Amino acid sequence: MIAFNRFKLENGLTVLHHFDPTTPMAVVNTLYDVGARDESEEKTGFAHLFEHLMFGGSVNIPDFDAPLQRAGGESNAFTSNDITNYYDVLPVQNIETALWLESDRMLSLAFTPKSLEVQRNVVIEEFKQRYLNQPYGDVWLELRPLAYKKHPYKWATIGKNIQHIEEATMDDVKAFFKAHYHPANAILCVAGNISLEETKRLVEKWYGDIPASLKPERILPKEPAQTEYRELTIERKVPNDAFYYSFKMPERKSFEYYVTDIISDALGREKSSRLYSKLKKELKLVTSINAYITGSLDEGLLIIDGKLSNGVSFEELDEALWPLLEDIKKERMSEAETSKLLNKIRTVKEFQEQGLLNRAMNLCLYELLGDANGVNEENNLYQSITADHIKTVANQLFTKENTSLLRVKSIKE
Amino acid sequence: MSVRTKQPETKQVDHISFVKPQVFDVTPDVKLLWMKEVPNDTVRLDLFFDAGITRGNKSIPAIVHSLLLSGTNELSSVEIHEQIDALGGFLDTDISFETAVVSIYCLREHIRPISNIVANAIQNLAFRETEVEDVLRSMRQQFAVNQQKVKYVAQQQFRKHLFASNPDYSTISEESDYDEGNVLAYKKYWRQHYLEGLTRITLVGDLEVDEVDALIDLFGKWAVDGKVHHAGGFKFQAERINFPKNDAVQCAIRMGRFLFPKSHPDYIDFQVLNTIFGDYFGSRLMSNIREDKGYTYGIGSGVMDLNQTGYFVIVTEVGKEVLDLTLNEIKLEMERLQNELVAGDELDLVKNYMLGQLLKSADGPYAMLDMYNSVDMYGLTLAFYDEAIQKIKHITPERIRELAKQYLNVEDFLIITAG
Repeated sequence: MIAFNRFKLENGLTVLHHFDPTTPMAVVNTLYDVGARDESEEKTGFAHLFEHLMFGGSVNIPDFDAPLQRAGGESNAFTSNDITNYYDVLPVQNIETALWLESDRMLSLAFTPKSLEVQRNVVIEEFKQRYLNQPYGDVWLELRPLAYKKHPYKWATIGKNIQHIEEATMDDVKAFFKAHYHPANAILCVAGNISLEETKRLVEKWYGDIPASLKPERILPKEPAQTEYRELTIERKVPNDAFYYSFKMPERKSFEYYVTDIISDALGREKSSRLYSKLKKELKLVTSINAYITGSLDEGLLIIDGKLSNGVSFEELDEALWPLLEDIKKERMSEAETSKLLNKIRTVKEFQEQGLLNRAMNLCLYELLGDANGVNEENNLYQSITADHIKTVANQLFTKENTSLLRVKSIKE
Repeated sequence: MSVRTKQPETKQVDHISFVKPQVFDVTPDVKLLWMKEVPNDTVRLDLFFDAGITRGNKSIPAIVHSLLLSGTNELSSVEIHEQIDALGGFLDTDISFETAVVSIYCLREHIRPISNIVANAIQNLAFRETEVEDVLRSMRQQFAVNQQKVKYVAQQQFRKHLFASNPDYSTISEESDYDEGNVLAYKKYWRQHYLEGLTRITLVGDLEVDEVDALIDLFGKWAVDGKVHHAGGFKFQAERINFPKNDAVQCAIRMGRFLFPKSHPDYIDFQVLNTIFGDYFGSRLMSNIREDKGYTYGIGSGVMDLNQTGYFVIVTEVGKEVLDLTLNEIKLEMERLQNELVAGDELDLVKNYMLGQLLKSADGPYAMLDMYNSVDMYGLTLAFYDEAIQKIKHITPERIRELAKQYLNVEDFLIITAG
């Protein structure tokens, strides 16, 4: 159980407070309700580039990191297709430094041309390091536009291509800040050995005078229901053929989201899972296989990916895979298997709650979904899943028309 | 608004409570370390073996490590994992230069049955032919993928050349290691390094003492006989070697040299120098090469501890066209530390930062056990950290410069580039 308090400032900032007297550290976590899905198709990769710029100095403070380090702390951030999340971890006696820094960059950035120029280069190197200079590194750049035709999930967080990052201008940066970086579009969590009263006093002191703006309305192109089987084969200089089956799945807020998560676990999370034991261990068609979900807030994807054993064709795999998906649609899952999957979830939840940072991030994410207390209800939701739920959802997921298959064909150097 | 330009008052960390785990003697040379105070039902059990990658050739240590849970005469690998999964447990395995670790994560009500499953699986490992083939196939495939990563190539070649004088440490994997299973050699290795190779057990979890005793009974039979010895006195040649990969868009750099073991009197002071140079986001290397020049997504340095010594390494991947410029900037940053005194402001910041990180490293039973283990493994005590606090607080710019002059001469470094 993660206990928390919630209050709101007049300018619209939502604040969560989580008291933990057992740790000498504190966490200040800030979630901005903006991700790659909010970018325009002509300027992709921007939410992520912007995250880098957030460390390039704010209106009153030339350098973000140094004061935090001087306070014994450190900071980082991540951008997804849905959100941008910033966090600071520092000794609790210095927590005011984190609130001072975070509030100033919510107020306004320094917008220096040098910072934009350097971070453009850094992000381009990140693009190369993660997506271009790794075998199979670019598959998500290919898979997303195959699975999504309208919704902005069709591009990756890093962006569609390097040109979009190269072409980012200071005007773009300023407009993005104005639209998305203000109190009403953020959720702040203060966690650690600090009282609610002290949290209120400090947050009011540093965030109270940040001007209010209207929360931007999110009107995203809706992804039309997929009605046809899609496949794409790309050739790459990689050692083995690889496959990525993706299936559209329900949005984050629905109960079916959790059911789909359990289905992916049943198929390919562990070394006792269905696909692993049949396709790898028994039939030896693959050298690796996994099933997982993307965890997206809007309609996401269940992915089955892996690499073929030498001499095995994509068709052989396909013929062996579909009957296993049919099994989970037709046969009621045994009590032993559901209980195995739910036991694993229980262990994971218990370990996740260990860390203060994890707790703070999860509170913010659930607040974004509607109520921070959702984090405390999640395990019960999972535990309420039955074999009937699994069968019903599996029937919605695993149809040919709901499939987008990316094949990576290995070619020699 | 002017209040916003001034940082709120900060206080340096002045006290850290280091908690010593309870220590049980499994044998005179093998300990079990136990941290009992855990505020929830989670348990972690780690089994350490004298089975690191330097204990054998032809990738045998890594292959046997991958085969540990691959089945007995009675149970297949899938059945073993099925049993562990049914109890909600997770297994994790890790292999490094000098140690191999098998870890169990679970809720406390399940630690006994899961431990029994793991003990039985390792004790009665059958090296079934199909399982051996499966593991070799997967490893061969992973090897091929790794060969395409400049980062991996640089790391392997760095190892090969840094440890040139000792074949156990310098021999890197080759594709032929995975061609066909040598089950006799695997069995011999498993008996010697696992069934008689347990070097320590660490445990975090709110258990009863008799449950801990039961774990000692269960795993204690694998305890090594006598003290474990590791190599030292490595020699290498300081040189620059490039491994070309024509279609790469980035080059990986690994450059480093040997230093000293963790017990050396310069160890902590050098950590301060290392932090300033390359071990935090505001380091000289990051500020210059990422935040000023934009040559890389990340660059860092660190000290790697071995039993008898340690080495210092700088790690990065940079745009292919800026490789030489980057190497030159790294050299300039070394020279700056040798020729100029670190400004008081920068040193104060690093001191505060390091103390804050030390506080974080001691936060909670899991972190604290790891922290204790990482000195105890090298024969040191918690006094190491109390001394670290004092040394960090009192180190001077002159001392930093002296260490840089002694240890950061580029001509003493092995430089490997790939890409």
